[in-house]
Amino acid sequence: MQAEVGIIRLDLLFELISGIIALVVTYYASKAYQMTGQKRLSDLSTGFLVLSAGMFGRVVGTWYFLMREPSDFIFAIVTIAYGFSRIMAYILFAVSTRRSLSHKENMSENYSGINLLLLATFLIDPSLEVVAILVLVVVVLQSLLNYATTRSKFALYVLIGFFLLLLSHILMAQVGQNPGFYLISQAAQLLGFMSLLVMLIQAGQEV
Amino acid sequence: MRILADMMRAIQSEGEEGAGPTKILYAANLSHDRLTQYLEELLDKALITELAPDTNNRIYFLSEKGREFLREFTRIERFSEAFGIEI
Repeated sequence: MQAEVGIIRLDLLFELISGIIALVVTYYASKAYQMTGQKRLSDLSTGFLVLSAGMFGRVVGTWYFLMREPSDFIFAIVTIAYGFSRIMAYILFAVSTRRSLSHKENMSENYSGINLLLLATFLIDPSLEVVAILVLVVVVLQSLLNYATTRSKFALYVLIGFFLLLLSHILMAQVGQNPGFYLISQAAQLLGFMSLLVMLIQAGQEV
Repeated sequence: MRILADMMRAIQSEGEEGAGPTKILYAANLSHDRLTQYLEELLDKALITELAPDTNNRIYFLSEKGREFLREFTRIERFSEAFGIEI
């Protein structure tokens, strides 16, 4: 139980850091939009804002479930809201970066208290994960095309970032079969956001 | 925005000697009318300064505000390019 709770807290820390980095990207994209008036930058900014809001919502929701016994209704609401916020964000990424050119987990009463707690903290809906993966594949392919065209190291960081986000969702979709993938998935997500952070730092350096 | 940045880069590339209208016109690929319009905009915003404004040998220099603007624009340009967004 100690180890499980430790893993849960680590995943929340990863999610929190990722959410903060997403907020920083939101700020940069918003600043770029104000300077240039390019609508795609506004869409990108909104996408990262929605993503960070979903992440913070998940952290708060998970803490809530850790403190109180979750009702099925609230659990379902938070899980779906989290999944939809991510999908909405990824759709916005797909729109803004476009070129100019399983089965559902059943919350039965047979789960033990610990399993219920762990499931509640995972907040995974496999159906939404599959949709997120499909949209992210489009985003990754667009990032790949952008990198192939520009050969810019900044584009490479974005490609790595989105690829790791995709990988995290692929791993998350497998959590039902192998719960060990959960923390690896969260780590992949954090590394993806770290890649975006490196891009921001390097892009902000003096010419 | 991109045109203004191209004009300012043309001026910056000339360093302390400054750039004349013809140099800026070719660098930013502009017509004479558009060049006049954008130069006025840059002067109004104090992003460039003008030497000998009453003669035919006008020379333009980048102001400190212009240099800072160009640095910020380059950061924004890199950020946008990273996501494949043209500005």
